[in-house]
Amino acid sequence: MYEEPYRWVEAVGNRRQYLDEQFKQGSPVVALSYDGGILLTTVSKGTPKLYEIYDRLALGGMGHPTDLEKLRFSLLEMAHVEGFNRSPSDVTGSRLVKYGIAPVIKQAFEEVYKAPFIVRILVAELGQKPEKDALLTINYDGTFEETTGRAVLAATQVVQTKMMSYLKEQQPVPPSLEQALDLALRAWAIGSLAHQQDEADQQAEAKPQTSNAGSSAAAIPSSDTLIAHVRSIAGERTIECAVLERQAPGTSKYRSLKPADLSRLLPKAFQSAVAN
Amino acid sequence: MGMQGDFYQLLKEQGYKLGSSGQVGTGHALTNATTILAFKYRDGVLVAGDRRATAGNMVMYDRTDKVLEIDRHSVMAIAGVPATAYEMVRVLEHSFKYYRRTQLQELSFDGKLRAVSKLLKENVPAALAGTGAVVPVFAGYDMEQGSAKIYFYDILGAEFEAVEYAVSGSGSPTIRGILHYLNTWGEQPLSALPEEQAMVQALRLLTSAAEFDSATGGVNREASLYPVIKLITGAGVQTVPDATLKPLYESQVVRYV
Repeated sequence: MYEEPYRWVEAVGNRRQYLDEQFKQGSPVVALSYDGGILLTTVSKGTPKLYEIYDRLALGGMGHPTDLEKLRFSLLEMAHVEGFNRSPSDVTGSRLVKYGIAPVIKQAFEEVYKAPFIVRILVAELGQKPEKDALLTINYDGTFEETTGRAVLAATQVVQTKMMSYLKEQQPVPPSLEQALDLALRAWAIGSLAHQQDEADQQAEAKPQTSNAGSSAAAIPSSDTLIAHVRSIAGERTIECAVLERQAPGTSKYRSLKPADLSRLLPKAFQSAVAN
Repeated sequence: MGMQGDFYQLLKEQGYKLGSSGQVGTGHALTNATTILAFKYRDGVLVAGDRRATAGNMVMYDRTDKVLEIDRHSVMAIAGVPATAYEMVRVLEHSFKYYRRTQLQELSFDGKLRAVSKLLKENVPAALAGTGAVVPVFAGYDMEQGSAKIYFYDILGAEFEAVEYAVSGSGSPTIRGILHYLNTWGEQPLSALPEEQAMVQALRLLTSAAEFDSATGGVNREASLYPVIKLITGAGVQTVPDATLKPLYESQVVRYV
């Protein structure tokens, strides 16, 4: 029945709605350049969401863990085969994304009788020079964007814009790792609070209520609220951080920050949020 | 099946083949003109190799690096046909990285050894044909057990653990005897040597090998050419810079008569 163009467009539309719904519970991901490389931050529940892909490539994801695993494996496979057959410096994030996984994600999204990938992906690439650093984000429909300096994944476009504008406003150039960590966690809290707010709004809409003052587009919460949010959530979840360090010895530049690193790097306000 | 984290399998599925397969039995005498050595010292394991590459009686190159770092805690020293040896190192390097990144844990030390011998076994036809024999020494620090380990192989892929030291290459018969003597009747066993003394011994051993084996390059001070020496400890692999070797060589290796 999807052969009719109109039906197909409708099916794709439904699919969008369905997928948007899936990310509501998700934890945002923040990537930020700092003076020594790139920092990735999220707060995860159970399964990790930040991974090493290649010598200078890292991955952050939102969505279904199994779908993320599938795409992570195809990225790893492509990166290592290319790195072996050509050379490690030929493995670039933009090639892997543009010719590698974005087409696969798009195809899965548009084949309406098959399951789509429930993922949003962020690929961070540490260039040989800071100017060459790149951050790529891919949506569940295969559209990708390449940016520098900062990138986020969140449930909706509105929340993403909100987090990005906060980062743009606050980010000193270039921040130290401590500053970047502080900022990334705050941006994460903004995103996470906005997700909660969206959900609350949706439930409120069901009841006859008129006030829509607290929607996700509203003003940025106070610093105390953000810190309190991270603290409240850190009990049952883990703050997950990884860096691509330009000065790291050897060829692999990826390192995930351990609780000991975090308690050293985190600003005092967040200290109690570090899981033991 | 990328899910198992086996990079070599992945390569083979894509049509990759290690080395060239020659006809068994058509080979001529195997050459492995080189000297590599590894021994345990106080803090870990030292691996060293000369830098000469030869073809028959020709010196092809005097700055070869035969002691190759595979990951942060393991090193492979190679004797034999360089083309195959370098290719093996490349495969291993990518295999260990791929395993770590896909499986989210380090490949165990035993797993790494197995990978080396698997590659050597795949290479048997080329080794027997005389076009691709490789006789490596694999050394590393086993993080799980907290100890340094040395393994050596024959061209067919058999794996032997060396208790104190291992040698390979054409210059090795000379220094094998010296190592045995030093370790048994020296002032202290090799495994008790402090770092600096270990480096001095390595320089002396390679100089001795070069004395009796034309295919082993010694130290060439005019060209500031020193052997490659790597130290592997719990902290990882460290390459000793020439600036450290130069004064050691001049003060404790050279004898002015």
